[in-house]
This record gives sequence, C-alpha cells and structure tokens, in this order.
Amino acid sequence: MSVRRQDDGSVVLDGNCPVEEAEALLQMLQATPAAPLDWTQCSHLHTAVLQVVLAARPALIGPCGDRWIEQWVASNAL
Amino acid sequence: MNALHEQFIVEARELIQQATDDLIVVEREGAEFDRIDRVFRAFHTLKGSAGVVDMPPMNLTLHAAEDLLAAIHAGKLDASPAVIDQALACLDQVSRWVDDFEARGSLPPRAGDDARAMAERLRELLSANAPDQRTKPGRASSVLGSGDALPEWVSGLVESQRARIFRLTQEAPAELHAVSYEPHAGCFFNGDDPVQLMRQIPNLLAFRIEAREAWPPLAELDPYACNLRLQGVSAGTRAEISNIFRLLPDQVRIIDVPLAALRLEKGRRTRDGDTAALIRTVIEEQQEVLRFLNQSEEDFVGRIGAAARAASNALRHGLLADLAEQIELASTAALASRDAAPLLAAIDRALASLAGGLPAGEAEGALVSESAGSPAAEAERPAGRSLRVDESKIDALVNLAGELIVQKNAFAHLAKRVEDEVPGHELARAVRREQASIERLAGEMHASILQLRMVPLSHVFRSFPRLVRDMSQRLDKTVALVMRGETTEADKTIVDRLFEPLLHLVRNALDHGIESPGQRRAAGKPESATVTMQASRAGDRFVVEVIDDGRGIDPEIVRRKARERRLLATDELAALSDEQALDLIFSAGFSTAAEVSDISGRGVGMDVVRATVEQIGGRVSLSSRVGAGTTVRLDLPMNIAMSRIMVVGAGGQVFGIPMDAVTETVRLTPDRISRIKNNDGFVLRDRIVPICSLAELMSLPASPASGSDARLLVVTEMSGKIAALEVDAIRDRLEVVLKPMQGLLSNARGYSGTTLLGDGGVLLVLDLKELLP
Repeated sequence: MSVRRQDDGSVVLDGNCPVEEAEALLQMLQATPAAPLDWTQCSHLHTAVLQVVLAARPALIGPCGDRWIEQWVASNAL
Repeated sequence: MNALHEQFIVEARELIQQATDDLIVVEREGAEFDRIDRVFRAFHTLKGSAGVVDMPPMNLTLHAAEDLLAAIHAGKLDASPAVIDQALACLDQVSRWVDDFEARGSLPPRAGDDARAMAERLRELLSANAPDQRTKPGRASSVLGSGDALPEWVSGLVESQRARIFRLTQEAPAELHAVSYEPHAGCFFNGDDPVQLMRQIPNLLAFRIEAREAWPPLAELDPYACNLRLQGVSAGTRAEISNIFRLLPDQVRIIDVPLAALRLEKGRRTRDGDTAALIRTVIEEQQEVLRFLNQSEEDFVGRIGAAARAASNALRHGLLADLAEQIELASTAALASRDAAPLLAAIDRALASLAGGLPAGEAEGALVSESAGSPAAEAERPAGRSLRVDESKIDALVNLAGELIVQKNAFAHLAKRVEDEVPGHELARAVRREQASIERLAGEMHASILQLRMVPLSHVFRSFPRLVRDMSQRLDKTVALVMRGETTEADKTIVDRLFEPLLHLVRNALDHGIESPGQRRAAGKPESATVTMQASRAGDRFVVEVIDDGRGIDPEIVRRKARERRLLATDELAALSDEQALDLIFSAGFSTAAEVSDISGRGVGMDVVRATVEQIGGRVSLSSRVGAGTTVRLDLPMNIAMSRIMVVGAGGQVFGIPMDAVTETVRLTPDRISRIKNNDGFVLRDRIVPICSLAELMSLPASPASGSDARLLVVTEMSGKIAALEVDAIRDRLEVVLKPMQGLLSNARGYSGTTLLGDGGVLLVLDLKELLP
C-alpha cells in the first residue's frame, strides 16, 4: 500500500504512487481534510494522485520524495 | 552595481541638479506655473527612479516633497523661503543618499529615520500654510499589480523563471519553446500520465500546473477526471518536443518564444532576475499617470513629457531601445494631437512586448498603421536628443585619433624622403598630394573627435546659483549672481577642473569683496551686490571672469600684509607697481582676510587657484579698483589634448620641451657668458639668465664642445622664473598628443609625458618646472 495513514492521523505517500492510489488518497483526505500529508517517502507520483493533492491542498510535510515534483510543483504551485 | 543602478545614479544627480536650479529660479523670480511644474516633474521622476532601485526612504521623502510642490502648484501654498529651504534640504538629503548608494549599494541604517524626519518637516509646512492639503492633481502613485497587463501564459512562465532562463540562454543560446498541454478529462483511462510526458521535455526551464476549471468541493471531486493544464518552457528543439506529444497533437500547443522576451537581460549578467519586473513597474506607473491625466493644457504637456521620458528611459535601461523609440515617437504624436491615447497605446504595446507576447517589430508595425491617419505620424523625433556615452569610450577615440595624427606625421616624413630620394617628380608629387589629403582628413577627424569631449561651461556654472544663495544668506548680504556665456565650450577635463578655483573665487568675492548692506549704503552703492561669472571664447582659448562690485583690493593693504608675512623685503615691495602688488595675492601663504571665516577661510589661498589653473595650462590675473570691485580673469586653453613642443638634442639624445615654456632661443658666443658663482649665466635684456646644461640635468655625457663655438640656448620662463637650457641642437617644432608616463616610468620625475615621433621613435617630453633648479 503506497497510501496509508499513520497512527498520528497523518497521511503518508510511500514509494511509487500509481494512478489507482488517487481514489484512496482522496477518500482519506475527504475523511480528515485537516490531516497533514507526508510525501517525503514517495518516489514517483502519478498525475492523478498529484491532482488530488492540488485539489485538496492538505498541509504538506515535505520535501516531496519525487524530485521532479519537488522542483517544479511543490515550490511553485503549492 | 548593475547598469540600471548606474543609470539611476547618473539620472538622479541630473534631476537633483535640475530641481535645485529651478527652485532657485522660483525663489528669485516667483512661483510661475511652468517653473513649479518643472520642479514637480523632476521630483516625480526622481521618485519613480527611486522606486526602481528600491529605496523606500527616498520614496517617502520625495513623496512628501511632491505633495508640498503640488500644493504650490495648485496655488494653495506660497513658495516662501522656508518652503524653498526645506525643498532644497530635501534634495540635499536625497543627493547624500545617492552618494551612499553609489558608494555602498545601499542606504545607511539611519536613512529611514532621516526620511521620516524630513517628510515630517515637509508635511508640517504643508499643514501650517494650507489647511486643505489634499491636492494631488491627477496623479496616483500606486503601482498596478504587475500581472494585470500580462495577457499571455507564456510571459508568466518566462517571468517565473526569468533568471534561470536568462542564465541558460547566456551560456548556450538556444531556441525556446513554450508548451501548453490540456489533457482530455478521460486521459487517465487511456493510461496517460500527463506529468510523465512533461517530465520528458528536454531542458525544461519553467513549469506550471493548474486547474482548468475551479476545483469542485473535495466531496464532489472525481479523482479520475483530469482537470489540469500543464505548461512549460523548454530550450529543447521543436522536433524533440513534438515527438513527446506525437500521440496527442490535439491537446498540445507548442509556441516559439521570441527572444525579445528575454532581451531585457541580454548582455547583462545580472544578479537580480526581477529587472524586467522593475521596468514594468515604472512603465505601469506612467500608464497610471496618463490615465488620470488632468485636462488643463500645461499640465498635459508636462505629464506626457515626463511619462514618456520615464517609460522610454526604463526601456533603455532594459536595452530595449527600439521600444523606447516607439514610446518617444508616440509621445510626439500625443503632444501634437493633444491626446494621450497614442502614448497609452504605445505603452500597452511595450508592456505586451516586454511580456514576450509581441515581438518588438510587430509592435512597431502596429504603431505605424494605427497612427498613419493622424498628421502627427510624420512628426520627427524630438530634436536635440543626446546620447550618453561612457567617457572612457570617448577617450579611447581621442587616443586613436591622436595615434592617427602621429601616423600622419610619419607619412609626411615619408613623403619628404620620397621627394628627396626618388628621381623624377611625378611619383613624389603624387605621394605629396595623397599625404596632403590624408593630413587634412586626419586633422578634421581629430578636431571633430575632440569636439565630442567639449562640454559647455554651464556644467560648472550651474552649481553656483545655489552656492551663492546659501553663502549670501549665511553672510547676511544681498547678492545677485549674473552668469554670462555659459554655453562657451571647452574640453571636459578643463571644465571639470575649473570648479574648485571658481568656487574659491566666488567665495572670496562674497566673503571679502562684497561689503555688508550697511557699508554699501554708506558708500552710496545699491544694497544688493552683484557677482558676475562670465565666459567668452578668445581664439583657441577661453576666458572666465569672476567680477564683483565690492570694496576692491587696496594695493597698500596688500603691501602691508606682504611685509608682515615677510613675503618680500620692504624695498622690493616699494618697487612693485600696484598691479604687481595685487599679484602678490596669488603667493603662497597670503591671505587678506582679517579673520578666518567659515566661508572662505579654509586654509586654501589664492595660490591654490593659480596652481590649479596653471596645471591645466591656464593663467590667472587680477584687477581691482578700490571701492568699485575686483575682477579675476582666468585665461584657459579650450583643450589639452594637443601640445606644441620643440624637439631638442642634448647628450646624444632627443627631448621635447613644451613650447608654452619657451620664450626664445639664442645662440651665444662664449664671451657673452659669464660665470656667476658656480653657474654660467648671461644677460638678456637687462635680466640675468642662469644657464643649465640639459645634458647635465639629464645626467648624460656632455658633448665635447670646443671653447670657441657658439652655445645654443633655449630660454624658458615658468611662473616668473627664467632660465636658459643649453642644448646641442634644435630640431623640429611639433604638435603632438602627449601621453602621460605609464607603468614603471609613471613615477619618473622631470617628464610630463611621451609622444611618438614621425620616424617611429619615442620622444620624452620634459617637465621643466620639476627639472629646473
């Protein structure tokens, strides 16, 4: 599972996050919109997952493990 | 310090000077609408430039000053001396900040406090004199959000990474392409990963991802409906990029980014990537000024001019001369048609072009086609526009022209040899003819290049109205300053060096020359004294005179002081004519002031004036009539680039002697030379002239002169000292470009410089002042 919830309630993206994870991530963020999202361990983010992050704008714990996303998205759009 | 900052410093100083000049005129001749308007505009432009370099204290101060001037402008406040004083003080403060900024690149820490205090004082005047101070005619200083005028997404992208893009294109100039990719909503179901495609773009320089439609509430979000727009700028080729998106051509737009969008930064390895933003801010402020344009006529002309100037300057800062030119053209059109629309349109186009949306050429086309219908379209560029060129570039040109003159002399040398050595006259005549025309051309070119260095004396004269005003206030004297002939031109070096001597002379005139109003009344003179500074051209020289109508200088007092200071023995003093006695004022250690005052008693005497003027090849003389005033006359060369020298031989070498030191040459038989103490000397027209051997002075072996030969002497006179140099031969008289001694030789004493001779040899030119004992 590359999307999971920590004991402290924060959501974690781990490793490769393919397109299917978008739904799971959205459900978790819908359930707890205030929960922070830790994406430091994520190595690759699919567009659909990224779109959920962009739409939900959770509090992010960075830097994003996907360096391209960190460089081009995290520093500008978020 | 980048080019923008340098430009700011130059311009700020000009504006400060201009505002100071105008303020003084306002004080003297009244607050006419035009004058106040000029001052107001100078302050306004100054404030605009301060915004560019980001100096909030300056902005704050100038803003307050502007309000004050606006109140005068609107007739709600009198231009009282107190107001003028404060406005001048404000300019002084700003001027100090400009100095600080130039020296350190920032303002001192106390600048903020100073600014607040200054602004408060300015506002106090406003509230004390005018209850209704909310008068800001048609002017808004707020800055528009800089995004407003940027229509294109490309410009936004370029902007976001300007510094980075600039760096890359500097290192490896490449074509730039912008990509906008709007994936279909169902793309995820086709297995697309849009971000993955963007990741493959080579040399990505900027990237943005955003929602196409506003995001729905989280509860309604469909995670598998793509609602994204992805955009980037790349230095990759169009082919590479098209290849990545080859399967979805309908969802992708690829656009060439014109290099105009980047030109702002070209040629300037700048630290700050936001120069473009600053320029845009300035231009937008002008846009704002124009939008709120007051319809009254004078105001209109003034604001159009100021706005166009500020905008075009800003564009020139950014090396966008073509855009600046369009703005200027449009401003001419706007003035001619009394409508700000052409200028506003040009500014809009400039902004668009700045943003990269429209290449400059297209903007030009648009301007032409649009204004073709109006008669102003044919209007010429404003006349008298000047070009600001770095002084060193001009100097390089002067040097080259100088070398050309030397080469021309060499050619003359050659032409003469051809005449002497080649039999038959045809060839020699042809060479002569060519040589003559080259000589003429080189001469003309040299003259017109030297002309480039000519500046009007108004450059130094213009500081004086302010100085005289302040000094006369401090001394409680009423003094009118009259300036004449300030358009007389001379070489910049000379004009620049004139300031100190003139300052000293004017200070002296005010402090010592001019009597107090009471004394003047008692003497039957008008209470208000006059100091005149006048310049005029006299052949290849020019004359500057400082004339006062004060008490004059009494030669008897000068004699007494000279005696007290033991400058000369009593009998010598008695022998002096009044004129010669007055000349003693220029001796070192002479000062006629009874007490040291803070105006002129700074330990610098008239001797320094004479020394400075002589250094630039000038002469000082003084005439005075007791009770009627004093005139000091500076006689100066127009330029110092060419010197006339005499070439002499001594001890087997050749040397140059400046012609202005040579009074005559004489050939003496040994019987006319007598031994005086340890020195040879002879009598020339009742004066004893000591003889120095040039070979000996230069530590060269003396030529074996037989006792009966006549000896060749060059008689020189420098600052009243006469001496004869013994030489072996006198060769030519030349007009040369004297180069200062350089490198290891720069410290060698006794030489004033070197020059190249026609035969390629180097000639050392002697500095007789240092050389002669």
